[in-house]
Amino acid sequence: MGGNGEFEPRIVGILCNWCTYAGADMAGTSRMQYPPNVRFIRVMCSSRVDPQFILKAFELGADGVFIGGCHHGDCHYVTGNYRAEERIKLVRKLIEQLGIEPERLRLEWISASEGNVLVEVMNDFVKKLKELGPSPLSKDKE
Amino acid sequence: MPVTVAMVSLASCWGCYQSLLDTHEALLDILPQLDIKFWHTVTDFKYKDLESYKDGSIDVGIVEGVCRTEEDVHILKTLRKKCKTLISLGTCSTYGGIYGLLNLTTIDQALKRKFVEAESVQEPNIPEEDVPKMLDFIVPNRKIVDFEVFLPGCPVVSKDIADAILGLLKGELPKPPVRTLCDECPREKSEVITIKQLKRDYEGIPDPKKCLLEQGYICMGPATREGCGALCPKAGMPCRGCYGPGPNVIDQGAKMISALGSIVDYESISPEELVEKVGDVAGTFYNFFLPSGIISKTVRKAK
Repeated sequence: MGGNGEFEPRIVGILCNWCTYAGADMAGTSRMQYPPNVRFIRVMCSSRVDPQFILKAFELGADGVFIGGCHHGDCHYVTGNYRAEERIKLVRKLIEQLGIEPERLRLEWISASEGNVLVEVMNDFVKKLKELGPSPLSKDKE
Repeated sequence: MPVTVAMVSLASCWGCYQSLLDTHEALLDILPQLDIKFWHTVTDFKYKDLESYKDGSIDVGIVEGVCRTEEDVHILKTLRKKCKTLISLGTCSTYGGIYGLLNLTTIDQALKRKFVEAESVQEPNIPEEDVPKMLDFIVPNRKIVDFEVFLPGCPVVSKDIADAILGLLKGELPKPPVRTLCDECPREKSEVITIKQLKRDYEGIPDPKKCLLEQGYICMGPATREGCGALCPKAGMPCRGCYGPGPNVIDQGAKMISALGSIVDYESISPEELVEKVGDVAGTFYNFFLPSGIISKTVRKAK
């Protein structure tokens, strides 16, 4: 919860080392502002994101989970982002069946030069999560 | 001195005790060494018979099934008090089993479906008198009491039961799994497995020699532990994962999603097609495991 009582979503962001994390770096060095709701974790590739990580993040009370990878065809490991997409779309369906809104899991392709896109996506994600309200598994007391 | 045993059935199909009886000749080795103190599945024992034993006075307790009512919880806790060693027999008792899929809905909706909406119901009536209170969700037994031995399987393969009991009589605990089902499955596998087309179980006739995943059938082998001897894949039926997760895996369903992502050919099957073809994601990947999963039940608020 924010200081003024407004709901501030907690987001776990898992970013690929080669594209989205570099993009976040760029946003930082260019002094672009993005919401402080997200905690970034760097992994070597979006396909490193085990579905267990996503479920664990939700179980621990995350209001949203963001996965960032390279654009199709740009993956440093050739096919990692395709693999990630197949998995994450299955997980979206799974969390929907478990009662968590699928919009809380977001997958975006953001390249190293797209710091501005990362900022836009984060602003939009935070806005959407504020509309959705706290996760059903949120640990914050209402 | 024979070993004293108490056996209980909670919410279950009794199939695991059936499997115990299926050990056939091994029973000749097992039975003379056992002194059965309580087994209400086969004879007319009452709960007070079990309750009247001194705490810790029975050597081995065997639990089949999962706790669906408060009565089940009571009998499980009583058995734990009376027994020195507790064995969890079958997947229901170990992970929650197929009953665990009820965690995708609420108990009120489930009761309504069963007693009011079911097509065969003529006089809708949800029984309330003289029945124990239902629990809201299914929790794996290990979260209610501690166990010493787990024997998963739906049902546990008879040989596993015989080996485990004969081993325990000598004081040896069953060995934990070290491999996945694929390692003991005799089907031929390519170096790199790719799925170009997904098939449901009823589509086509699978090649009897080749890996089922390679042929497009969703086989839970990569996410499932060894132990059953690949019974279903040998018979041409994809594994549904009844033996539970493989070594070092926390969440069987999530791990299978991960495995599937690795082997689906993304040029032939788009993510949207994959989701559509799998359909019931939770039911497919968590057939026996939902109550033990990282997110173990629906968090949907009642409308």
